[in-house]
Amino acid sequence: MQDFLELSLSATASGCIYGLVALAYLLMIRPTGIINFAVGEWAMLGAFGGFFFLTRFEFPYLLGMAAVVALMLLVGWGTERLAVRPLVEKGAPLLAPILALLGMLVIFREVISVSFPPDPHPVPYAFEIQHQKYFIIAVTALVFAGAWLFFEKTLWGKSFEAVALNRRAAALMGINLSRVTAAAFAGGAGAAGLAGLLVSPNVSAHYLMGVPLAIQGFTALVIGGVGRVEGALLGGLLLAFAEQLTTRYAPIPSGYAQGVPLLFLMIFLLIRPTGLLRARGA
Amino acid sequence: MGPVLEVRNLTKRFGGLTAVAGLDFELREGEILGLIGPNGAGKTTIFNIVAGVFGADAGEIRFAGEPILGLPPHEIARRGIMRTFQHNRPFGGMPVLENVLVGAHTRFRFNPFSRKSSLEETERRRRAEELVAFVGLGELRDADVGTLSFGQGRLLEIARALAGEPRAILFDEPAAGLTPAELDRLAAIVRGIASRGIAVLLIEHDMRFLLPLASRVVVLNFGARIAEGTPQEVRLQRAVMDAYLGDAAAQ
Amino acid sequence: MRLAAWIGVFAALAALPFFLGSYHNDVYRKMLLWITLALGYNFLFGICGQVAFSHFAFYGIGAYSVVILLFQVNLPLPIAIVLGIVICVLLALAVAIPATRLEGFYLALVTLALAQLFIVVLNEGGAVTGGTGGIANYRLPPILGWRIAGPAYTVVIVALLAATLAVLWRLDRSWFGRACRAVRDNPEAAAAMGVDVARTKVIVFTLTSALAGVAGMVYAFVDNTVNPPIFGLDNAFLILFMVIVGGAGRHAGAAIGAILLFLLPFWLAPLVGHHHQLVFGALVLAAILVQPKGLVGLWDRFSR
Repeated sequence: MQDFLELSLSATASGCIYGLVALAYLLMIRPTGIINFAVGEWAMLGAFGGFFFLTRFEFPYLLGMAAVVALMLLVGWGTERLAVRPLVEKGAPLLAPILALLGMLVIFREVISVSFPPDPHPVPYAFEIQHQKYFIIAVTALVFAGAWLFFEKTLWGKSFEAVALNRRAAALMGINLSRVTAAAFAGGAGAAGLAGLLVSPNVSAHYLMGVPLAIQGFTALVIGGVGRVEGALLGGLLLAFAEQLTTRYAPIPSGYAQGVPLLFLMIFLLIRPTGLLRARGA
Repeated sequence: MGPVLEVRNLTKRFGGLTAVAGLDFELREGEILGLIGPNGAGKTTIFNIVAGVFGADAGEIRFAGEPILGLPPHEIARRGIMRTFQHNRPFGGMPVLENVLVGAHTRFRFNPFSRKSSLEETERRRRAEELVAFVGLGELRDADVGTLSFGQGRLLEIARALAGEPRAILFDEPAAGLTPAELDRLAAIVRGIASRGIAVLLIEHDMRFLLPLASRVVVLNFGARIAEGTPQEVRLQRAVMDAYLGDAAAQ
Repeated sequence: MRLAAWIGVFAALAALPFFLGSYHNDVYRKMLLWITLALGYNFLFGICGQVAFSHFAFYGIGAYSVVILLFQVNLPLPIAIVLGIVICVLLALAVAIPATRLEGFYLALVTLALAQLFIVVLNEGGAVTGGTGGIANYRLPPILGWRIAGPAYTVVIVALLAATLAVLWRLDRSWFGRACRAVRDNPEAAAAMGVDVARTKVIVFTLTSALAGVAGMVYAFVDNTVNPPIFGLDNAFLILFMVIVGGAGRHAGAAIGAILLFLLPFWLAPLVGHHHQLVFGALVLAAILVQPKGLVGLWDRFSR
């Protein structure tokens, strides 16, 4: 029983990380339809930001965390300005920004790879090592609560929804599409960077950590569905539990555990691509 | 010689809304049939059901005697029914002539690796050039479709649909967005098509364009047929005229 | 006339290895293989408009299949080759048939997962796949009593490239190629014109994946070693980048992109060391933002 509780805690914390990455995707997909695989590298940037502010410069934790988030908001905004806005304004097909972001993914990774030595870089825990999981869960809960409130209650959030439903109509209603898109990318980068920062004390910041997280986060999104914010968290938790339960109790070699998110992704995409939760009003 | 297209008791619901309610009509060879009615009458839904985009909840559609309701769009095209799109949908990465050749897709018979395939390609290309000339886009055959005007794009839609050598052609509001000169040319093209024995089904809002052109008209409202006949007959039915055609058609 | 010119070109390409030292021969062979892969990927992505990340994985599936079937299951070479192709075809169908029923990016995502899953299977495959170290120290069995190696094997690669180009060129110029472009440009209109969109996508995916698999089988005897890092995601992206930078949709574009991005690391090594990926990312970004038709597009513009 004790074993199971520990596993549950661990899975919940992992699920929160996946959920944050899924949220990042969701924030960008909903108003623009753009699937931004670079979120994995954004998480990696968040982790390195943590190393930079917290280890190198030894900021107090919360200040360092705020600095990382602020940095990521800027990175997200910058990415949108550089790789997305010119294409949208040119009227390029949806595929173009997706591919441009793949180019950016590689650029982000290589910039970090050039700037730091290749060994993993340590990032400190928020409080004690044993409390890290609770911290992750608490922060994630706050972020999701904030996101939910944003979409349900605020005018800005409603305008996101409007753009998601029908770009042209939203523009006609006076909603500034490029501002919504910039905010979406900034928010996505913030969420992804936070995920990277929170997970990095356990795994250390490393320039290759991006792609696996990108895939896990995307799987969480597909499981939960793009329609609702809660779906991202639900998907993350389900995925994490499935992963950890399989590793612990299933009679297969542990290396295959990496295959669990991939199998889930393929199965869900082929059988239930819209995810478990339906969008409001669907 | 039976009708080319027969629609019987067609019914389609979207959730709680009945878009098409037990509709019957026929399309005959070489005629120009107009489907008209106010917004929301179900014209577009019916069009899309015939074209294979949607299925239906009840009824049947027969084309040259064969049932076609529920077949996907590419099967509908293969049987000999081609269509145009109201908002032009050209293939942006190809020049005009290639676009038209896609329309002939169902007519290609040979395996790409066989020798006969090259001969067939040459022949189809020649026919496509004739069609491009027929609709009046002759000099533009190698042009990038992005350079075409709206009206020219509409003509491309038509040439492309004709390339499939259809027995019936469905026009989705072909007059929308055209200048008066373009409308005249369009009417001439439609007459030319019908005179070759191809059955033409038009859904259209623009009465000034449609009434002189159509040989027969079916008036719809709330997804059902409320009147049918020649344009003159239909025009004279007071209820129809008042409610749906408006003053312009009363002249 | 044109055919004679092509035969001349390929004869020259086949003769070249006999004049190159073994280092340059190795570089040359790999470049030819990348061009072969890029041509196939260009057909899938540039001509048919399907984004997929599994092309390089099928290269690996072909390579591993032939090695495993030859040296672990001990099948004769022709059967190993045929069976390897069958494996690629079945796997491609298993992925493509469900995925193409869905819209948009789903094929890309499923193939991304497949590519990663392939690496996991390789790493965990124990004795069958040789695990993380892979399989090495084998040799191409003699064919009709003759051991093909060195420059003679390069001729095999040239033949592979020629055959791939011939097949794809023919398809491209036929009604099938046109149907593929129609699916790329406007699937709804393509369907209305009688193109079976789902079937076209499945055929193209399966065909190009099988071609990649065959290329992989040829690759297996180039270094006489296969291991997981070779077939990782980096190379999956690289193939896409090659086609974008060179010019998606044109065979020449695929070839130019492959040659350029393959040789660039050699030229850039003194400047950026291992970080040539940075240049690739920047090139791709530049291509998409400035000249989506790639280098071939630039060439067209200047030669007008």
